[in-house]
Amino acid sequence: MIDWYFSHIVLIQSTLTTLLLALSVQVPLRAGVFSFAGVGCYGIGGYIAAIGMVHYGLSTATAILLAAVAGGVVAYTLGLLIQRLTGLYLAMATVAFTLIISVLVVNGGDLTGGAAGLFGALGMLDTGHLLAVAAVVVAGLTFTEIGPLGRRVEAVREDPELAAAMGIDVARYRRATFAVSGVLGGLSGSMTVLLRSTVTPDDINFHLVVLALTIIIVGGSRSWIGALVGTVIFVWMPEVLAFVGEWEDVVYGVLVAAAAVYLPGGVTGAAVDGYRKYRRKRREAADTPPDGPSPHPAAAGVGGDS
Amino acid sequence: MLDVSELHVRYGPVHAVRGVSLLAEAGRITLVLGANGAGKSTSLRAICGLQPAGGGSVRLDGAELLGKRPHRIVRDGVSLVPEGRRIFAPLSVGENLRIGGYTAGRSRVAALADGVYDRFPILAERRDMPAGLLSGGEQQMLAFGRALMAQPRVMLLDEPSMGLAPGMVDTVLDRVRAIADSGIGVLMVEQNVDAGLAVADTVSIVARGEVVRSGDAEELRRDASVVHALLGDAALAEEGTA
Repeated sequence: MIDWYFSHIVLIQSTLTTLLLALSVQVPLRAGVFSFAGVGCYGIGGYIAAIGMVHYGLSTATAILLAAVAGGVVAYTLGLLIQRLTGLYLAMATVAFTLIISVLVVNGGDLTGGAAGLFGALGMLDTGHLLAVAAVVVAGLTFTEIGPLGRRVEAVREDPELAAAMGIDVARYRRATFAVSGVLGGLSGSMTVLLRSTVTPDDINFHLVVLALTIIIVGGSRSWIGALVGTVIFVWMPEVLAFVGEWEDVVYGVLVAAAAVYLPGGVTGAAVDGYRKYRRKRREAADTPPDGPSPHPAAAGVGGDS
Repeated sequence: MLDVSELHVRYGPVHAVRGVSLLAEAGRITLVLGANGAGKSTSLRAICGLQPAGGGSVRLDGAELLGKRPHRIVRDGVSLVPEGRRIFAPLSVGENLRIGGYTAGRSRVAALADGVYDRFPILAERRDMPAGLLSGGEQQMLAFGRALMAQPRVMLLDEPSMGLAPGMVDTVLDRVRAIADSGIGVLMVEQNVDAGLAVADTVSIVARGEVVRSGDAEELRRDASVVHALLGDAALAEEGTA
């Protein structure tokens, strides 16, 4: 076990940081906001942590905290600017924001290290720290998935206009998702960079948008569990698929396409559906006498207006 | 009392609502009739803030509502039941009601929901069922119940009978009457002239964005041909200008 842990420590740590990145896209999506601003904040967080450590000698914790706050503030401000956009237009604007960040860091001179990036930003981080941060984040997000707040988030996603007609300040919820997404992106970026000790402009690119989105599509978009399942799949798949060699990308593509077609709710959605079906069958088997006709309660209940 | 006067709404170059004035009084049903595209739904959306108005005033007991954002207007006491029984389909009946009670505060939600269940016993039977599985009539009741959770002084109903089985239309409109009789002002848009007239107190007929006739429902019930003539004329005139 110990041996296994030490030989896989990089994968374990990057599972945790990638989870935060995926959540930074999933949180707005769950409220119906199609925003990739979290990926841009991943870049901002990574660079702020690296600059803080290399140029200003900040401690690891201070650098990460600063990155998270900066990510949140930048994303919230971006949210104020583009909050009237919806759907694909919002997605485009936030992808553009992410690409602008990568252009800015290339042209940042000595501060960002230009195209070569920054080196030697090794933070004092271990798996325990990452687990603690991920646990706090997940615990916080659980409150946005259950209970009254969960219902309101769902209402804002399902029908923003109707939610407004219920007295919910939809715009405030949308802005809040920007801020949360920025904080998560900043955390993920700063911790990734401080683990690797380097950051280059190539690290903040369109492929992160694709990665975050595929994790959510394959894992499931409705809960943090979906993000976790998707993250585990995509962080560990290269290891599992090592034997197919250069065909890895093909297998990857086929898996994503198959998940999008056959698992519209992601792996998590399919598992929840399967569990419900299993429970219903069990209950029906318990309710009906072995040879009696099986009444269908749902079917009998509907149809009152005919 | 909700007093709408000289309301204007423009969609770009289209002047959809041109100076509509309507009145909704506590305990009474004001029926708004009109052909498709006459500006009825647009007026309702402008009153509750979902559509910016281009001019006029909307006063609830003297306080101006125009220019406020929709979630504020709900708190002031005006609830919209939108067209087409829009409910939160994946949420259960009980959860839909609790969302509707968001402005009422957590401590009152249970009592308000019990009030809705008393009014619509069918919802109590279905309280844990996903709202999307209810029949059309039941979904409309749920939409009413959800709006009542905000304790409105005035309810705006956008075509409550739309898409319902003929037998269900009267049941739903009877519920509208009961809601008004409990002291709430109702402003109701309907296409179903006869069923609407049967429960209304006052009627306003809208054509091409303007009120062409308003009056007592009793009067128009006695001579429904006038209404049909006005709506028919409106439809013909619309074709003429198009």
